[in-house]
Amino acid sequence: MKINLKTFVLPFQYNVDKSLEYYKILEKLLNRNEYFVVGKNLIRSDALDKCLGKANFTADYLSKESLIVKVFRSCKSHAIIKNIETSRAMNIPGIEAIITARDIPGINQIGYALPDQPLLNDTKVHYIGDPIALICAQNEEAAQKAEESILIEYEELKSVFDISAALNPDSPLIHTDGNVAVTTKIRKGNIEKGFKNSNVIIEDTYWSPYQEHMCLETDGAYAFPDGTNKITVICESQSPHLVREKVAAILGWKLNQVRIIQALTGGAFGKKDDTGPILAAYAALSAKTLGKPSACIYDRIEMFKTTPKRFPAKFIYKSGADKNGNLTAIQVYITLECGAYANRAPFWLWRQTAHAAGPYEVDNVAVDGRAVYTNNVYGGSFRGFGNLALHFAVEQQIDKLAYELCMDPLDFRLKNVLKVGSRTTCDQILDHSVGIEKCLKSIEDASKWKEKRVPIKNGNTLKGWGIGCAYHGNSTSRSTPDWSAASLLMNIDGSFIYRTGICELGQGSPFGHVKIVAEILGANIESIKIEIPDTDSTPDSKPTHGSRGLMMGGTAAADAAIQLREKIIKIAAEMLDCSLKLVECKESYAYNKENLNKKIPFNEIAEELHIRGLNPGAYGFYASPKRNYDEETGLGINYSVYTFASTIAEVEVDTETGEISVLKIWPSMDVGKAIDPIIIEGQIHGALSQGIGFTLMENVQLHNGNILNPSFKDYIVPSAFDTPEVDDPILIEEAYKHSAFGVKGVGEPSIISIVPAIVNAIYHATGIRFNTLPITAERMHKALKEVKK
Amino acid sequence: MIFELNGKNVSFEAIPSLTLLDLLRNEFGLTSVKKGCDQGECGACTVLLDGMPVNSCLILSPQVEGKRVTTIDGLSENPLMIELRDAFMENGAVQCGFCTPGMLLSSYSLLRDNRNPTEEEVKMAIEGNICRCTGYVKIIEAVLDAAVRIGPD
Ligand code: FES
Ligand code: FES
Repeated sequence: MKINLKTFVLPFQYNVDKSLEYYKILEKLLNRNEYFVVGKNLIRSDALDKCLGKANFTADYLSKESLIVKVFRSCKSHAIIKNIETSRAMNIPGIEAIITARDIPGINQIGYALPDQPLLNDTKVHYIGDPIALICAQNEEAAQKAEESILIEYEELKSVFDISAALNPDSPLIHTDGNVAVTTKIRKGNIEKGFKNSNVIIEDTYWSPYQEHMCLETDGAYAFPDGTNKITVICESQSPHLVREKVAAILGWKLNQVRIIQALTGGAFGKKDDTGPILAAYAALSAKTLGKPSACIYDRIEMFKTTPKRFPAKFIYKSGADKNGNLTAIQVYITLECGAYANRAPFWLWRQTAHAAGPYEVDNVAVDGRAVYTNNVYGGSFRGFGNLALHFAVEQQIDKLAYELCMDPLDFRLKNVLKVGSRTTCDQILDHSVGIEKCLKSIEDASKWKEKRVPIKNGNTLKGWGIGCAYHGNSTSRSTPDWSAASLLMNIDGSFIYRTGICELGQGSPFGHVKIVAEILGANIESIKIEIPDTDSTPDSKPTHGSRGLMMGGTAAADAAIQLREKIIKIAAEMLDCSLKLVECKESYAYNKENLNKKIPFNEIAEELHIRGLNPGAYGFYASPKRNYDEETGLGINYSVYTFASTIAEVEVDTETGEISVLKIWPSMDVGKAIDPIIIEGQIHGALSQGIGFTLMENVQLHNGNILNPSFKDYIVPSAFDTPEVDDPILIEEAYKHSAFGVKGVGEPSIISIVPAIVNAIYHATGIRFNTLPITAERMHKALKEVKK
Repeated sequence: MIFELNGKNVSFEAIPSLTLLDLLRNEFGLTSVKKGCDQGECGACTVLLDGMPVNSCLILSPQVEGKRVTTIDGLSENPLMIELRDAFMENGAVQCGFCTPGMLLSSYSLLRDNRNPTEEEVKMAIEGNICRCTGYVKIIEAVLDAAVRIGPD
């Protein structure tokens, strides 16, 4: 097709409408009322390789020559290091280097929120498993021998293994500034007045324990020199750019001397956000020191014993309601156990603080939180990020109030849930996208809740039904700036390359981005290839956490697609000889809506773009609307948007054995917009399973800082036999104005409401409340005996 | 020593302490066989030994002498595996994919011997394969769906 070049005015004028609210892309930009791919169930682009065994995870990249990097760790929970003796180990054949703190060329610091965590310890150790040295060996045998030959002279200090001991004024200090790492606070309304106006008040204390992620793939990183002044690391993380920043700081290098390639990741759930930078730094240190490829791959036991777990937390709740069933006041004291390092504790604690009233409108709220060090393994990111534990507590409080008021727990919730115009715990007015009421009503109908208000006793079994609600602020909070980026490139053959730093961890977020891109471009989904994140070419999309991968990253993708679409449409209009408005793109063709016979394939458009010297790429950037936060009161616009969920669970308790079975689950969630329903269902199913595990079976056993059950055999996670019947998840779509098509995050919210739903169902069945988890058969059995059921 | 690997006879120098898992990954480059625990507890390393699913991390390499070892790579053209794979993909049974090869092999072995399994039988077949991502719901659905696709004979 010949085009008269003179008709083109260069440079191009883009008319991307900056006032476009992203949730209106379909109507306002695409001028359509039906979606091509969004909302449809498609086969994920990564599924085939995964089924064929051709998908590569970190350990699959290793070369045979690569050195083994083994971490030498502390066997003491709290001690001063007087001396590190490595010379004997160094002489073992096959040992290439023993790296200690003093060999670190840059900054020996890996703490996430606070600078309290050396990458390698040389003055003090804070928990059993604290890293001291890296053994760089040619083979496993040499590494093991070296491990036995390194001698550490310790001066032991008294250890602290629980929060109350740590808060004791005589407690030894784990870090120099005291055992309280950070505090938080919220003051809303008038708490005294609130309680004065309460007709019922419920006070209780809850403890939510550690949980191990049990990602199926163990942690690993593989580093190799790239010329003399650069290191490439292939690893699993949740933010390759964060890994690059940390590794560069440790190596004492510039960011452009470190290249991080994100391998496919065998489950993350928050874990890799914390371990990613650490393992990458270990492998990179060896590769830099020795100039050789080096791999640090944990085995299951090491991963279990030494890496962060779900932070434990204690909640002291006092909740009040008036006789009409309106919540009047909530007061909460939160004590978070950091373990040996603060890591994500400040953010975790804040999330709990900010959500402390639950998804309800309460005028009078007072929350005080503190995060406390102990000499146990440290806590870290884990799906739900504080909100799982928080809702375990707050949703039992709500249930107890309802029973106390002789109200149906669902009706009581409906009366108090957040609605459009309501104010959150932090006094944030929610002006749209509040779907909790619809969630509740939908599962009330689906489960025939009203018919299930009487527990059923049948021989040795008791059956009951419970409900749980949840809300979860998407992405970062307070006034932390929040943005994401993506890039999109049209190749000369009409195919596309899509780059995002949002990682594929199993959740399928990047595939969601590509659906958004395909929808906006009118391109074939198969024509868009997702590159794995590589910091040498991928823009920094900020981390894959906080349920922001699709909400933030997908909106950056939309921004890139909108820009590229403008160019495609403009060229297509010229080629089709029609007005811009008449151009529609579908299945990688542009055509004139009024003359369907005339259509131009994307490869011809791509060629024209290049011939005319027009940039065939687009860099998408998206920033969250501004938020604010008052440090004094903790009030303000905290999160840009919230995802809401509610779940009903049916449980059966065997009164002989204490065994608890979850028989059926009815989940619902307000997802903003379902980009891919089947992927969302998958997120919900996986989260239900992890939630059931946390509630009923998963139990990290600690004794004096030692983890006693670091394996799949002794730390039981759900197997296929623990899968209940799950009713089709009900997806409510209360669009979020500022994200692509209105999407909100689902990964984390999906795990939160199942835990209280089960716990409340157990109460319904047995009349027994549990304030700690897991509720194992033994505990249930004992509790039943005590009440003689 | 010699054994059959994905339909071909292969030989290797016997190392008594080497597991079949490490042999397959490191000597034969078959990285489709995953290491999730190396303790026989997760099922990520599942392969078929003379047709039966085993955890390859629990088998020492000398034990496979003269035997038939099949990994997912050896079944890529197998009609039953193709149906099963399609069912996994269409039912959304694949998330991170780390458990997937092992899960497919255990399910394959079930469907090969029992073309019309009950849900209980499916659960039994994959009980040793841990999946931390999917909660098994869609995996179970996929296996049952594959059974429908292949029909009774
Ligand atoms: S690696 Fe063999 S069972 Fe886990
Ligand atoms: S899909 Fe991740 S473990 Fe199964």
